[in-house]
Amino acid sequence: MSEADPVELLLRSARDEAVDVSFHVTGVMMQYYVVCERELWFESRDIEIDRDNPSVVRGTQVDNTAYEDKRRNLSIDGRISPDLLDDGRVVEVKPSSSLIEPARLQLLYYLWYLDRVAGVEKNGVLAHPREKKRETVELTDEAVQRVEDAIRGIFDVVKSDSPPTAEERPFCESCAYYDFCWSC
Amino acid sequence: MNDNYHIFSDGRVERHNDTVRLITEDDEKKYLPIENAEALFLHGQIDFNTRLISFLDDHGVAMHVFGWNDYYAGSVMPERGQTSGQTVVKQVRAYDDPDHRLDIATEFVSGSIHNMRANVAYYDNRGFDFAEALGDLGHRREEISSVDAIDEAMGVEAGARRAYYATFDEILPDGFVFNGRKYNPPNNKVNSLISFGNSLVYASVVSAIRATALDPTISYLHEPGERRYSLALDIADLFKPLLTDRVLFRLVNRGQLSADDFDTELNSCLLTESGRKTYSKEFEKTLEETIEHPNLNRKVSYQYLLRLEAYKLKKHLLTGEAYEPFERWW
Repeated sequence: MSEADPVELLLRSARDEAVDVSFHVTGVMMQYYVVCERELWFESRDIEIDRDNPSVVRGTQVDNTAYEDKRRNLSIDGRISPDLLDDGRVVEVKPSSSLIEPARLQLLYYLWYLDRVAGVEKNGVLAHPREKKRETVELTDEAVQRVEDAIRGIFDVVKSDSPPTAEERPFCESCAYYDFCWSC
Repeated sequence: MNDNYHIFSDGRVERHNDTVRLITEDDEKKYLPIENAEALFLHGQIDFNTRLISFLDDHGVAMHVFGWNDYYAGSVMPERGQTSGQTVVKQVRAYDDPDHRLDIATEFVSGSIHNMRANVAYYDNRGFDFAEALGDLGHRREEISSVDAIDEAMGVEAGARRAYYATFDEILPDGFVFNGRKYNPPNNKVNSLISFGNSLVYASVVSAIRATALDPTISYLHEPGERRYSLALDIADLFKPLLTDRVLFRLVNRGQLSADDFDTELNSCLLTESGRKTYSKEFEKTLEETIEHPNLNRKVSYQYLLRLEAYKLKKHLLTGEAYEPFERWW
C-alpha cells in the first residue's frame, strides 16, 4: 500500500471509494487504543471475548437498561453505532467513570465521524447513570487532533502481524481477554 | 460454573419453563438447572426435541451423546456466538507448513510425556520403585525434540505410553490386571475404565475447543479426520494422565469398584451402568478440583485448564507467541 495517511484512508473507506486496503475504526477500537493496544490487536482479529467475564456482563446490562426509553441507536453503514438522545445529542453510557478517558475518545470519534463522513455537527454527552453524572463533550480543534492521532495509532497497531507483548496492568483482571492473554 | 450433567437413565429430556427437565421411564421427574452448565452427557436412551436444542443453544450448553456400550457418538454443540475466519486460516496454514505442524505436534507429545511422568513420580514417592520407567520417560522426552516427522513423533508417544502403562500393573490392587492397552473392545476392567475415562476427557475437550473459534477437525499430531474432532484427540492426550488415570487409580485403590460394575464376556469387558455412574461422578469431582494458576493469579478448575489449553493454542496460531503445552506444575 502507498504512504496514504490513515485518516485519509479511513475517510475514503467510509465513503466506499476504491482503496487498496480498506480501513475501518469502530468506537470500541478507540477505547481499546487508549486502554491497551494488545486488546485492540485482539479485537481487530475477531478474537471472541469471554462473555462470562463479570465486567462484560455488567457493561452489557448497563448498556441495555440505561436511558432505554430516551435513546435510540443510529447505525452508520454497520460500522459505527452511536446512540442518540431525543434532543439529538450523541450519548455514550458507561458503567463507571473509572475509565473516563477511553470513553471520551470514543464519543469524540463518533462526533468526528458524523461531522466528516455524514456532514452533521453534533454535541455529545458522556453519562454514568450509576453515578448520576453527565458531561458535555464537544468536537474542538484540539479534540479533532486527538481523534486523528488515535486513528493513525490504531492503524499502526492493527496492520502489525503480531500484537504488542503482554504487560500486566491494574485493570487487566477486568479485561474480557484476560484469560486469553495470560493463559500462556 | 461449568457443571456437567450425566444422564444414565432412559427417558426424555425437555425444556420446562426456564430449566431442563428429565423424565425417566418410570415417570420420575428431575430438574437440571443449566445456567451454569457446560454440557449434558447422555449415556442412556433419551428422547428430545428441537425446543430443547434451542434452549440449550441460548444457554451455550453442549450435549454429548454416547451410544452403544457408551462409545462417544457425537455432540450437539451450541451455535457459536462468533466465528473467526482468520483463526481457521491460521490453523490450516500451521498444519500445511511441515515444520510448524511438527513443532506443535511435538509440544503435545512433550507435554503428554511430562504428565505421564508426573503420575509415575507420584507413585515412585509412595513406596514403588519406578526409577527405570522415570528414566525411560525422561529419555523419550528428550528424544521428542529431535524427531523430524509426524510418524516419528507418534512413535515416541506410543513408546512413552507403553513405558507408562507398564507401571500400572504394579500400582493396581489385586483383581485388577491391566497387561497393556487394548480397546475396541477393552479386554479387561482396567482397559474398560481407561476407555470410558478417555471418552469423557475427549468430550470435555470438544466443549473447550468450542469456546474458541478453533476448528476441531484441524489437528497437528493426529491426522485431521482420523476421528471427527481430531484436534480434541491432540489436546485430550495432555490431560489423560491427570484425569482418566488418576480417577481410575483413586477408585480402584479405594475399592469403590467391584466385579459387579463390569460386564465380562468372552472377548470384552465393559462397565455396567452403575460402574459408569461411579466413574463419572468421581470424574466430575476431579474436574471441579482447583489449582492456583501461576499467571492468572487465581484458582482455576481442572475443567477450566482444558479451556485455557484451547486459548493457548489459538493465541499461538494468531500471534506467533510460543505454545507451551499443559504440564502439571504442582
